[in-house]
Amino acid sequence: MSIVPKDTIHVIAQSIGIANLHDDVAKELAPDVEYRMREIMQEAVKCMRHSKRSILTTDDVNSALSLRNVEPLYGFASGDPLRFRRALGHSDLFYVEDRDLEFKEVVEAPLPKAPLDASVVAHWLAVEGVQPAIPENAPIEVLAPPTETKKEGPRKDDESAIDVKPPVKHVLSKELQLYFEKMTELVVTGADTQLLRDALVSLATDSGLHPLVPYFTQFVADEVTRSLDDFPLLFSLMRLVQSLLLNPHIHIEPYLHQMMPSVITCLVAKRLGGKGIVNHWELRDFTASLVAFICKRFGHVYHNLQGRVTRTLLHAFLDPKKALTQHYGAIRGLAALGSRVVRLVVLPNLELYLRLLAPELSPETQQNEMKRYEAWRVYGALQTASGACMYEKLKAQSFLLPSSSRVALKSTARVATTNAKHQETAMDISPRKRIGAADLEQPPQKRPHLDTDNSIATEGRNLDGAESTVQLEPREGGKAPRIGEENVLEDSVRKPSKKGGKSITLSEAWKEDGDVGPLLASLVDLFGEGMLPFIPSKELSSFI
Amino acid sequence: MEEEKVEQAVLAYLKSKGYRQAELAFHDEQQRLRHSGSQTSDTAIDSSIANPILFYAKSDNDPNRYKEGYSKLRSWVYQSLDSYKNELLRILYPVFAHCYIDLVGKGFTQEARDFLQRFREDHEASHVRDIQKLEGVLSPQHLHESELVLTLRNNKQSVKMCQYSFELLLQYLHGTDSMLMLGIVNEHLNIHVLPGPPSALPKDDEVVAQGTLDYLNQKEIRWGALEDSLEDKFEKHNAAALLEKDMAGKKDGEGEDNKAKVDGKAGGPSNKKAKKDKASTAGPGTTAKSAGPGSAPRVKAELPMPTMSEEAEKQVMEDFRKRARLGSNALPSVSFYSFINTHNSLNCASISSDGALVAGGFSDSSVKVWDMAKLGEQKTIAGSVTQDKPPTNGFTETRETALEGSKSSYALLQGHAGPVYAASFSPDSEFLLTSSADCTVRLWSMRLKTNLMGYKGHNFPVWDVQYSPVGHYFATASHDRTARIWCMERMQPLRILVGHMSDVDCLQWHVNCNYVATGGTDNTVRLWDVQTGECLRVFNGHCGTVLSLAMSSDGRYMASGDDRGAIFMWDLGSGQCVAPLMGHTSCVWTLAFSGEGSLLASGSADNTVRLWDVNASSKGSRSEEKLSATRHLRLLKTLPTKSTPVYALKFSRTNLLLAAGAFSPSQSAKATT
Repeated sequence: MSIVPKDTIHVIAQSIGIANLHDDVAKELAPDVEYRMREIMQEAVKCMRHSKRSILTTDDVNSALSLRNVEPLYGFASGDPLRFRRALGHSDLFYVEDRDLEFKEVVEAPLPKAPLDASVVAHWLAVEGVQPAIPENAPIEVLAPPTETKKEGPRKDDESAIDVKPPVKHVLSKELQLYFEKMTELVVTGADTQLLRDALVSLATDSGLHPLVPYFTQFVADEVTRSLDDFPLLFSLMRLVQSLLLNPHIHIEPYLHQMMPSVITCLVAKRLGGKGIVNHWELRDFTASLVAFICKRFGHVYHNLQGRVTRTLLHAFLDPKKALTQHYGAIRGLAALGSRVVRLVVLPNLELYLRLLAPELSPETQQNEMKRYEAWRVYGALQTASGACMYEKLKAQSFLLPSSSRVALKSTARVATTNAKHQETAMDISPRKRIGAADLEQPPQKRPHLDTDNSIATEGRNLDGAESTVQLEPREGGKAPRIGEENVLEDSVRKPSKKGGKSITLSEAWKEDGDVGPLLASLVDLFGEGMLPFIPSKELSSFI
Repeated sequence: MEEEKVEQAVLAYLKSKGYRQAELAFHDEQQRLRHSGSQTSDTAIDSSIANPILFYAKSDNDPNRYKEGYSKLRSWVYQSLDSYKNELLRILYPVFAHCYIDLVGKGFTQEARDFLQRFREDHEASHVRDIQKLEGVLSPQHLHESELVLTLRNNKQSVKMCQYSFELLLQYLHGTDSMLMLGIVNEHLNIHVLPGPPSALPKDDEVVAQGTLDYLNQKEIRWGALEDSLEDKFEKHNAAALLEKDMAGKKDGEGEDNKAKVDGKAGGPSNKKAKKDKASTAGPGTTAKSAGPGSAPRVKAELPMPTMSEEAEKQVMEDFRKRARLGSNALPSVSFYSFINTHNSLNCASISSDGALVAGGFSDSSVKVWDMAKLGEQKTIAGSVTQDKPPTNGFTETRETALEGSKSSYALLQGHAGPVYAASFSPDSEFLLTSSADCTVRLWSMRLKTNLMGYKGHNFPVWDVQYSPVGHYFATASHDRTARIWCMERMQPLRILVGHMSDVDCLQWHVNCNYVATGGTDNTVRLWDVQTGECLRVFNGHCGTVLSLAMSSDGRYMASGDDRGAIFMWDLGSGQCVAPLMGHTSCVWTLAFSGEGSLLASGSADNTVRLWDVNASSKGSRSEEKLSATRHLRLLKTLPTKSTPVYALKFSRTNLLLAAGAFSPSQSAKATT
């Protein structure tokens, strides 16, 4: 009959000292209790409405009680919501936690901070129907347009209702102008101060900066072209770009095409910062991550974005005429784009490139210490890139590896490491390979079939000249690692054939379902033990 | 005592039927029991048996039982919980009709007539035809002839209600000895108990509601704008100027068309009004409805109007001249006043007509008035910084700024003894009225910043107070189910408007000051004549508490918003709903028509200000009105605020939309974390 069970009435009666309440009385009282409660709630909701709230508070209940001339309930006036706790052992019994308070503590507790006084602030919610993007307004959703068109949908049948909007004159508010001035000034002068850091945070979080985006893009472009040898400035600029990209309130897509050249410049420019500045590597690293971020965030909006970036970087990477610093930037950039990109475009060209790099690395062939250092940086970058890619792949495939190939992997790795021990550097690969190449004269069967780097790959081969035959595939050896037959791998004495297999595995690395084992083996072959840290510990343990 | 009565009743019954033997046996047994003296509890008659016995003994010869029983039931229904009242009200009419038929059937013609006269008003609105028919049924023979009576008697009328309403009804009928009513309900009603919450207004009742409107809305309403108001003067002035120009240009009035063209060049929407005004200057006698289609007639005020100083008048005229023209292509600028650091204690906000003063009523009984003109720019900049930053940062900064310059940034008005629920500025911004839970309304002088007067009259919290468009008069709405009309210089109310079945939650003056509209928890909006205190219109259609009202400046339309986010546009003349405006998802706290009535702005708890195009409906001629109205009423723009529910909206005389609300970051904080 009533939502208040008569047991509740009994309990309440007991709580006020009536031990033997008759069942009938309880039965009669229950509906009335329910009615009274509904009445109080009805009045409380009225009070809530007139306080223009949508959440009922204890105050509302109290004013409802006073409306009905009932003593209010004391003790619930604290601002916090009541915390109900489940009674132990009962599934649907709750109680309000009522902690004992030490009176002394209450008395001695420091006074709470006085609440701030109310005040009124005025701003423009809309100017002639258009909401200005100022901090006081709700952030305009970047992808809002679809909903708006939906709303305007039914209007179409209504000819007279077509809105004709006059062209809008673009006016920057004084505040925004000031903001822009201060910001650019800070970027130009105050490299790496706390102030700049704060400013960048503001740039990354504030809403309402959208009108400034074209100005900032222009500023970055100008400054980058003008002051390529001012390292701190470049770094600040890149951080500025990063802040702009991070800002969730800015709709930056239309300006990306203006922004990208400057960013790419900072990645692959021949010389960044003045002479003698060594830490331009850092800037390149940073910019690489920035490029990756852009591709990740806006890749789905501009489908060709990543492709174009990759192509640009690959050009820089595969052009032997470019300086090593440029190569470094390109490699970092490609690596930052993810392991897929590395597998796709770096690994197939890895062996070739390392061969070119080799002379730069050894002190005998490269006397210039600076140059040598650069070469080693590039080498390191390559190693990191392919290593990270390997790591990803191993991680992804570790649970997929069939046991047979796992064994193969094991054996290959063993072989590879022993090989590596024998080799001092990776350089001596090439002479040996030449022997192998001489032995087998067969047309290359596999080439990188990538539209982005097809031309580049061939170009690279042409540069190689005679050595292009290296890519010929030794038939038996080439198949062996892929199939993962142990016995073939076991006799690692047949080095030449193995070398040939390596190049083909590398060039096939872009295949998603390619086997990891051979790929890893060839990488270890190229880089020596430096590769090992990149193998996940689980896999590593299976080697030893 | 009761037992004796029962026994007497039984005896009388036996006697009347001539059951001699049974009577004797009864007597004997009675005697025996008396002698043995064993009046134990098991012989004590259960009241559930006694009541019907007594009832049947009495019912035949007491026609007053019907009247009593029905009036008790009626008052019980009227006092029941708001959410169930609508459902319970539905049983009243069938019970009423059957009571009457019973009375007639038993031959109490005079009593039946009295009964009908006494309660007919309740049902006249919805069942006037039936009542007229019933009136004609005067003798038991008629009962078999009247078609209506036969259908009523032979068919069980079905009434739908929810579980809890049904329980309440049964509880009442069983609990209060109203066997007669219980009998009628059992005999003639078929109650369908529906699961779920009570329904506010089911479809079949809406038909009835239409009937209500048809009946009530026959009374004439002169909905025109106020004659000789400043706006009127301004328009006349304009029209005269145009007319002169026109006369100079062309000797002959070659046609209205030419003039319209000139007007069109001079500027848009005033041309129709200008035309109309010319017409009215030509024939000064025609002030009522007769004016041409699409123009607002002028109506003389029935109240004595306060006079205005020449200077103020000039200022207002100047404002009218500067008024921005709004429409679907020209949306207004919206200036938003955010209350910050209110800690959920702001109950209401009000903005003066020039936007310079902003008042807030708080739950701690205080009223605070900010002078926005004085606050200056430096304050706004400081404030904007605080809003933007994350809470921890922002708060420290506001503290600083608060300490720096704004110690007396507002005027604190203390006097109320309970939460302040409404505030209203006088048109000239000289005075402020506030209403509170302490049952009083207080008048404050904005010049002196002190309390001038406390108006006591209501017995319960006063939910709303509104100055009339000309000042001087004001109206209040209260929890005591009445609305009252006051003037500033009297302690006592001038009129008490009684009729709402529940709280009166909001009210609004008509532009010509002759009418006041009120909206209440009983989901209706009513229109009252200020002069007579009569209810002229009942607008049925809302499914929730009506929380806000607005009148268009031509006086023809009214908008009302409820707690479910629905807004209805009403035509005052016909009492019909022009169109519902759906879009808000929560309580509509406030509504405002733009100066020339082409736009409606609504502010809601869902943190948006919405702008609706109502232009077509108010300008279209009557014949096409229905077509155009439904097509052209549309949402123009939604302006989301930054987690700020919109408490007050006001179009300034220059058509700048002023909005106010309390910034409540807790919601956004919850959303982000």
